[in-house]
Amino acid sequence: MIEFQQVTKRYSAHSTALADINLSIDKGELIFLAGPSGAGKSTLLKMIAAIERPSSGTVLVNGQNIGKLKTSGLPYLRRNLGLILQQQRLLFDRDVLTNVMLPLVVCGATRADAEKRARAALDKVGLLDKAKSEPLSLSGGEQQRAAIARAIVNRPQIILADEPTANLDRGNANKVLDALKAFHGVGVTCLISTHDEEILVNAGRVIHLDSGRLIDAGQPARGHA
Amino acid sequence: MITWIRQHAFALSRALRQIFKPRSGFLLNTIVVAIALALPFAGLTLLENMRPLSRQLAVEPEISIFMKMDTPREKALAAAVDIHKIAGDSKAQLEFVPREKALASLNEKSGMSDVVATLGANPLPDGYVLKLAGLQNSAEATRVDSIATQLKTLPEVETVQVDSTWVKRLAALLHILQVALLFLALTLGVVVVAVVFNTIRLQVMTQREEIEVSRIVGATDSFICRPFYYSGALLGLCAGAAALGVVALALQPLNDAIADFARLYASEFRLAPLGISATAILLGLSAALGLGGALMSVQRHLSRIR
Repeated sequence: MIEFQQVTKRYSAHSTALADINLSIDKGELIFLAGPSGAGKSTLLKMIAAIERPSSGTVLVNGQNIGKLKTSGLPYLRRNLGLILQQQRLLFDRDVLTNVMLPLVVCGATRADAEKRARAALDKVGLLDKAKSEPLSLSGGEQQRAAIARAIVNRPQIILADEPTANLDRGNANKVLDALKAFHGVGVTCLISTHDEEILVNAGRVIHLDSGRLIDAGQPARGHA
Repeated sequence: MITWIRQHAFALSRALRQIFKPRSGFLLNTIVVAIALALPFAGLTLLENMRPLSRQLAVEPEISIFMKMDTPREKALAAAVDIHKIAGDSKAQLEFVPREKALASLNEKSGMSDVVATLGANPLPDGYVLKLAGLQNSAEATRVDSIATQLKTLPEVETVQVDSTWVKRLAALLHILQVALLFLALTLGVVVVAVVFNTIRLQVMTQREEIEVSRIVGATDSFICRPFYYSGALLGLCAGAAALGVVALALQPLNDAIADFARLYASEFRLAPLGISATAILLGLSAALGLGGALMSVQRHLSRIR
């Protein structure tokens, strides 16, 4: 489903974010990207979402070569991805429900359909009672779960979560992880980056990165491929 | 098709929400654009009103044709055929003025009868008055000169008098007004585009976060750009309507002043507002200018966000 073939990403001659990465991720896997800050975890996720392009090598997502993807093709790639960032990037001038409806609205869904599906997504992350709340009135954990609801509302094939538990207390971090694991349970491929060692205990496949290099590609889990 | 309509309806609602947002600056920008548009609109209204006036003034420019004194009456009458041919205008009117009628007309003029009595014999020749159709531009006015030159070549003709200078002057004046108006409209059109460009630039900047999030969740560039296009077009449209309203309102006091002046010339001339089709065209043009400014601004600033 996702292939990295000798992928290198350089921002300048002295700044290499990823170096010669070879990686294969199958459909339905739950993967944790581990490594210290600056290891290249965010860059790797951004490449899958075509926010960054490789300097050399090939990134394939569902058979599409990210390096050769035209700008006009990006929206259609991203509609199959659910992207969760460290900063939730909720829009504070509208309520939570409207934020979650956004991915459906951009695809041309009717307001009624978008609202119905957005409420269902909020229900899955336990935030249905906050649908009409302003994002700023939510706690950090609730904002992150609202961002997860927005990421999954379009029923994506892949969820990319960049440090989703950063800045959260243990309780809220576990709620966010449980929500993500629930989507993996229904066959969604999940990539979660973290530098939280506690999360990695019994985590399944863990990919270790350090200074842009792949240290350990982990063992693909059986049964999902 | 339904999805396309739905997305346009969404973009329009986003644009309207942006317009009615507190401190959006839409009203102020509309006033600035309306002032810029009001000047060429007022000029156009004036020009449109002067066109029929100029036609009225230019009705049937006259050419006086005087026969040689020794031309027999029959020959003078027969010359009408050649004169008609040269005039080459089916609407032209030709009137024969016998020398007796010309003298009687001269006698009727106050202060001239004594002068005529001293002359003894009738010193006036037979003549024609050729009335041409109205001239609307300087090219047609030049045609009058050409006709006069040809008439002079007729053997029976002694003199040809043509007074088309004033027609040419009026036509030239109208032409200058048209060119000046076009130049003014172009200059102020650039001003309108610049104002809309800047307004949309500010909107793009304030909605930067929303644009970036929309891109992340799979919005196409068309989806992102559309509300800004609607904002620009609506700004142009509202400003155009306001400018037309200002011009229409200004006509009332202006007409009061014109009425006093026109009465001196026994005229009922009044400035009328533009017709429905002209109004629709100007509103369309205003919206198009707004859209043009928005297009340029969005293309320039969205690529930076990308």
